[in-house]
Amino acid sequence: MPLFGTETEYGIAVEGRGAADLVSESRALVRAYRGAVASPWFYRGEDPRNDMRGFHVDRLAQDPEDAKFDVAHKPLPVEEERADRVLVNGARLYNDHGHPEYSTPECASIFDLVTHDKAGERIVLDCAKARMEVEGVGRVDIYKNNTDFHGSSYGTHENYLVARATPFPDLLSGLLPFFSTRIIYAGAGKVGSESGGGNAHYQLSQRADFFTEDASVDTLYRRPLVNTRDEPHADARIWRRLHVICGDANMSEFATALKIGTTYLVTSLLDQGWKPPVTLRNPVQAIKSISQDETYRWLAEIAGGGTMPAVDIQRTYLQAAKERFSGRGPDTDWTLRNWEETLDGLERNPLALSDRLDWVAKRSLLSDYIESAGTNWKDGALASFDLAYSNIDPDEGLYYALEQSGEMIRVTDDASIAAARTEAPQNTRAAIRGQLVEKFAGNIAVIGWSRAVLRDSDESWLVDLEDYITPDDVRPVLAGLKSAADLRQFIDCYRSGEK
Amino acid sequence: MPGIDDDRATRPTGPADPLKKEGDETGPSRPDVQRPDRNDLLKRMQRVDPDQARKYRQRSGE
Repeated sequence: MPLFGTETEYGIAVEGRGAADLVSESRALVRAYRGAVASPWFYRGEDPRNDMRGFHVDRLAQDPEDAKFDVAHKPLPVEEERADRVLVNGARLYNDHGHPEYSTPECASIFDLVTHDKAGERIVLDCAKARMEVEGVGRVDIYKNNTDFHGSSYGTHENYLVARATPFPDLLSGLLPFFSTRIIYAGAGKVGSESGGGNAHYQLSQRADFFTEDASVDTLYRRPLVNTRDEPHADARIWRRLHVICGDANMSEFATALKIGTTYLVTSLLDQGWKPPVTLRNPVQAIKSISQDETYRWLAEIAGGGTMPAVDIQRTYLQAAKERFSGRGPDTDWTLRNWEETLDGLERNPLALSDRLDWVAKRSLLSDYIESAGTNWKDGALASFDLAYSNIDPDEGLYYALEQSGEMIRVTDDASIAAARTEAPQNTRAAIRGQLVEKFAGNIAVIGWSRAVLRDSDESWLVDLEDYITPDDVRPVLAGLKSAADLRQFIDCYRSGEK
Repeated sequence: MPGIDDDRATRPTGPADPLKKEGDETGPSRPDVQRPDRNDLLKRMQRVDPDQARKYRQRSGE
């Protein structure tokens, strides 16, 4: 069942403010959102310390360097600290530890997801502009990247609904070779290395330097390739939510679509019991060495001895997906075709893919600068151009200059992105959530991914969306919600078809 | 199933290589742009503070 979404933690730079101020700045930016919203978030029942391996940890690891910023600040209640907003398009906008975070609504199509991912950029940018133009703060720049180039990383997460029946050890062994190698097309590119990660001048991935574990429930420190957080936001007896934290923030629409499309197909393979014919000797070492391999041979060490090119490891997944899923639908066929063409291109001449892959596009403009300025890859300005590539302002960002000059392949369009700012995908439960916000925001006591509590006078009702997974699940209650003249009429409709 | 140790000596070398912007003619096709106008890109690059990354500090996130 295709159901996925992304969560983007944006980098934020505010004139005259430092890292210690970013929690309050991020919170203020979220609060500057001007559209209709509902809050607070339904935190009860959420538990990020629940591990898919069958245990629960007492606490999550914290970065000791980062924790120093918190010493001088008295913690606020979580609702105030995070300033959650649920938007009419079903998305969530909030402050996550000093980063404005936009979580897309659940999508059932990779193209919808790309569109909503881009809508998130526009929404966060408008919040930044409101801070500057309405609230009078200094210049605010927002970056869709994953590093501050000084050892602090922040995430761009993906979520996929997968079957609980797939044993976790099979999920883990099936994902590790894929995650360690998909950076050859999904990497966003980065100038330099961090966290003692090596000496590369330019590497494929923003995030590769920051992983130390194959699998773990942690996300802030000692980060894993496979996050074991067990928080399905759906019926836990049937579903897992695969929470992917090892990906980069992509500006390229094509790269986002390919990253999501391929990963979804891999989860589908694993749900069918397929197992990859390759095991990496050390997946964490593999993602780092592939990311930093400036020869672009991308050899990974295989368990039992020998090496295998990342392209060929990806081909084992592609081949299995082609055999099982060809002709299944437009998303699948687009993904299979472009996966194969991209791997062929990476094998033939990776630098020819600058119209679709972020790491190649960024490398292209940096290389042009080096050539025209007569400098080299050690030039300190390159990291600033890297950062500017991910500036989400279409009038400032270097990625957007490439897009506007027609150099980047697009898979969505500006009109669809504009519409997605206020409209959820109509075939997922996000449409119900968005309609609740649009019609009954004043009646919402709390709201989350899978539940909302509505109130009217002395009465309250729980709307439970855990079982609204397929378009057929969603359609009747969404129709009832849209036609309901008032809250009680909607509640009657919801109860008549309650799942 | 591809062979193990299938080293590809024909791959381009690292960042010291100048970019071959038009790439391999048999590779994936580019957008239909005859001569991309890079004036705007160059103007934007000139506006970038070369020290911006050095000054950029973030909280560690997820």
